[in-house]
Amino acid sequence: MSLTLFFQLIVNGLMSGGMYALVASGLTLTLGVIKIFNFAQGQFYMLGAFITFAAVEAMGMPYPVAILASLFCMGLLGVLFFFGIIQKTMSQGFFATMLVSVLFANIINQVSIFTFASKDQVLAPIFSGKLVVGEVTISTGKMVVIGCAIIIMVLLHFFMKTKIGTAMLASAENMEVAKLQGINTRKIFWVTMAVGCGLSGIAGSIILPVTGAYLMMGPNVFLRALLVLMLGGMGSMSGALIAGFLIGIVESVAFQFVGYFNILAILVFVGILIYFRPGGLLGKPMPIPGE
Amino acid sequence: MTWKKKRILPVFVVLILLAFPFLVSQFTVQIGITTIIYSILGLAFALSMKVGLPRMDIAAWWGFGAYTSAVLMKAGVSFWLTALIGPVLAVIAGLFFFSICLPRGMMAFFVFCMILSIAFYQVFGSVPVLGGWGGITGLPAPMIGSHELVTKTELYYLCLALLVFNIVVYYLLYTSKTGRAWNAIGSSLKLSSSIGINVVKYRMVNVLIGNFFIALAGSFFVGYYRAVMPAIFSFQAGLFILIYLIVGGFSYSIAGPIFGALIVNFMPEYFRFTREYQSIVTSIIVILILMFLPMGILGWFNLKAKTWLVRRKWYPEVLR
Repeated sequence: MSLTLFFQLIVNGLMSGGMYALVASGLTLTLGVIKIFNFAQGQFYMLGAFITFAAVEAMGMPYPVAILASLFCMGLLGVLFFFGIIQKTMSQGFFATMLVSVLFANIINQVSIFTFASKDQVLAPIFSGKLVVGEVTISTGKMVVIGCAIIIMVLLHFFMKTKIGTAMLASAENMEVAKLQGINTRKIFWVTMAVGCGLSGIAGSIILPVTGAYLMMGPNVFLRALLVLMLGGMGSMSGALIAGFLIGIVESVAFQFVGYFNILAILVFVGILIYFRPGGLLGKPMPIPGE
Repeated sequence: MTWKKKRILPVFVVLILLAFPFLVSQFTVQIGITTIIYSILGLAFALSMKVGLPRMDIAAWWGFGAYTSAVLMKAGVSFWLTALIGPVLAVIAGLFFFSICLPRGMMAFFVFCMILSIAFYQVFGSVPVLGGWGGITGLPAPMIGSHELVTKTELYYLCLALLVFNIVVYYLLYTSKTGRAWNAIGSSLKLSSSIGINVVKYRMVNVLIGNFFIALAGSFFVGYYRAVMPAIFSFQAGLFILIYLIVGGFSYSIAGPIFGALIVNFMPEYFRFTREYQSIVTSIIVILILMFLPMGILGWFNLKAKTWLVRRKWYPEVLR
């Protein structure tokens, strides 16, 4: 394997891994804080990409503004989803909310088949050109995607350090005691939902210039995000980050050797790792529903 | 009369089920067969929920049974033998996989089963012996003596026999000592282990029995469908099996999944006029059921609707 190929594989892996990490951290946040397993997260990712495309192509917004628009729209959709549907089923427990989100994902999928997602959309590349370091050539667009993903993860880290972030972590730990301390848990619920869904939307919009927007991007990314969630530990934010990049790199490198069997390679990899660390890579995650 | 009034409803249901193929069109019988297969899967899910394990791998083991049958039938083994080999292999494979994850508690099991489900789907699709993403087609029909079971009516009775077998076994299990131990584990894990119930052992027995019946349903599915494709056994398809129990009623381990499967599978037929939006309409209705009938349809009927009907004297006297 030449050095260029090796670095290109790593960059590809980091790029897709960044996406997995962002979607999975949205998933892990909603699971850890408000105990909701949101299966519609992948569909939010797809919608984010399409909204960014529409904002850039149809409304002529500059790309960074379109990213913010997608973040806002997906956050809003998440909040509406929470208040409209999830809140009514929460009294029936973890399992009913999970099934509701599965059905909601199905509805989004079907609606988008009939309307906007009937054909793939490709945005003109925002960052063309290549980065040449010695004999290694790397596309600039992919580097920007990786950079954006890391910046968003850092921002998320600082968000969790603010007052509302600590309130979120407190209610993740124990909802009853958090209520006693004067935390407005109703507010925590919708803020968490907005942040979780917004993360998916923003992931979809930053990957758009590289891969374009298509219908299957939602389910594809969601399956990997599930694996990231398992590997990183359910409810662990930093675990999702590390596991996301790890799975991205393993997938990309395995593709070079075994072609489209690479998903099996990740499954074996994740299976072996969670055999030795069932609680996730980093150990202690947020408490999750169960025993 | 030695017949109690209470027996009228079950006798009526059994008669309807037996006469079903002669009352409706062949197409509806076909939906009836899929409903039976799905309600068997729903029953297995209700079985595992008894011990507090939401298993996400039902589609995987269903596919395991179906693929075992398909591969063996392609090699010339009779259907009835494959319907025995598939479940036994599923139990052995289940013993291997579950002994890894079951002692680690509910969440590890939940996670591991998701991985198993995705992995099985990928294996079905990408291994050449199993026919790739196109699956295996053109399988022989099940035979009784020299008679081929090909008509929908015969297959309906075959699957109905399997469903009755399932219900009888589950009923006997639920009323036995094992079933009482499962109930105890389901209601409180710590309490039941404190009174000396071996939680891991009972849970293992539970999921392995579930595995046996799920794989059996897979084999019978092949007998009916005479083809297997990975798309049928995908992770997403498996998620829809879980809906039946919730729609039917969480506290009804036998009637709940059957009733839920009946509603969820037959509902699209009555929304045929919505054409391509059928799936959307079905999803919306199931969401509404989940939102506004927290006890499921059976629970709603027993707790709310029944008293309302009785008060207005609209409830038939014989069913009281």
